[in-house]
Amino acid sequence: MTEEERLQRDMLQAHEQNDLAALPPLYLAAARLRESQDEIDAACFFYTHAYVYALDCGDREVADSARSRLKSHGRDK
Amino acid sequence: MTVLDQEMIANVLRPIEVANGLPNAFYTDPDVYQAEKRVLFASTWACAGFAKDVPNKGDANPISFLGQPLLVVRGEGGEVKVFQNVCRHRGMILVEEKTTLRSAIRCPYHSWCYNLDGSLRTTPHVGGPGQNLHDCIKREELGLIEVRSHIFMDTIFVNLDGKAPAFEIHAAKLLEQWTEFADKPLYHGGPESSFTLEVDCNWKLAVENYCESYHLPWIHPGLNSYSRLEDHYHIMQPGNYSGQGTVVYNPKLDDSGRAFADFEGLSDKWDTGAEYISFYPNVLLGVHRDHVFAIMLDPQDNGKTIERIEIYYTSPEMCGDDMVDLREKNAAMWKSVFEEDIFVVEGMQRGRSASLYDGGKFSPVMDPPTHQFHEWVATRFAGK
Repeated sequence: MTEEERLQRDMLQAHEQNDLAALPPLYLAAARLRESQDEIDAACFFYTHAYVYALDCGDREVADSARSRLKSHGRDK
Repeated sequence: MTVLDQEMIANVLRPIEVANGLPNAFYTDPDVYQAEKRVLFASTWACAGFAKDVPNKGDANPISFLGQPLLVVRGEGGEVKVFQNVCRHRGMILVEEKTTLRSAIRCPYHSWCYNLDGSLRTTPHVGGPGQNLHDCIKREELGLIEVRSHIFMDTIFVNLDGKAPAFEIHAAKLLEQWTEFADKPLYHGGPESSFTLEVDCNWKLAVENYCESYHLPWIHPGLNSYSRLEDHYHIMQPGNYSGQGTVVYNPKLDDSGRAFADFEGLSDKWDTGAEYISFYPNVLLGVHRDHVFAIMLDPQDNGKTIERIEIYYTSPEMCGDDMVDLREKNAAMWKSVFEEDIFVVEGMQRGRSASLYDGGKFSPVMDPPTHQFHEWVATRFAGK
């Protein structure tokens, strides 16, 4: 199982279990993986989800990190 | 749309000696009720809830007031704001149940996120996947729609049309009347100090019954022992509020002499004084030296009203476990009194189906507070 497949599995599981707190770091990891592969659109898709779920559950660290990357790519402010 | 009989409305505005009460349509006609939402509620300051329901930072309480979805939020700095509970994108209801928000209000549809102060925080994928910006989406213009609000005696007043004078102006006379209470911190008594009554009557009948003392010896005979009719006086502020006061308030909740502590710094008037005011349109307030209460009349339709009663005390100590029995007795006493009124307001509601009833004849001596309320309603409908 690749890293991406593992993240996808864990994300689906977290959604199924409504484990909101687990989502921000998983989406952040997926975003970083895509960013490391220079897939910026896909990375920003995942950064966006990391940001939104982090705001929702009060995970300031992930929220700040995701927002910072989105800003640097011109995708948020 | 119902056409109101202007002659009957004009009759309400005549001197009390020759006036009639409001015509039946004001109690039975759904169209008039719909008009009242605009004429009597949205254009002034009405009670939509209580700040005690959002005690902590991030607390969000969705409410339906006059059919409008509102959201009461206590922000990061402790301030309470009221918003329309809809996303600026597709109008989706934002918060369905009472909750504590962590750092944002997230729309459950497309996840637009708002800060607790209502400002728009982010708009995911609004410019395409992974692009959260678009030139047409100006976040500074798309915050939640805030409803003007003001908290007085823990009661959340809202001005739905945003055009009423500032609350301090609107309530200036009441603030003057109760200047000794206006700045006092209030402490809600807890679960046993909160109850609701559902009554099958138009909301105005609850106002009318509350603001007059004429009915007390007949409907609340238990009060005669310490609060006779002649111990009461009218409270009148045209266009604003009316009610009654007593000069013999003397609570005895406990045979052993235990009692609630009084508010500090009250004048002698309040040693045995208490006042009960219908603050138009839908708040019934009562003040005593040792506790206050507020009743929100929450109209459900032209013939159904929910009364929400909240009782407050003078210090955190009065809200502690060792006073719970007294708080229970006090709440039970008030609940008993308010329940005694139910058959009256429901009876008057049914009476309003009598097609030849002319709105009623007032006692020039005992009914001025009621007539003043009818005048307020009639004046607003007459466009004066």
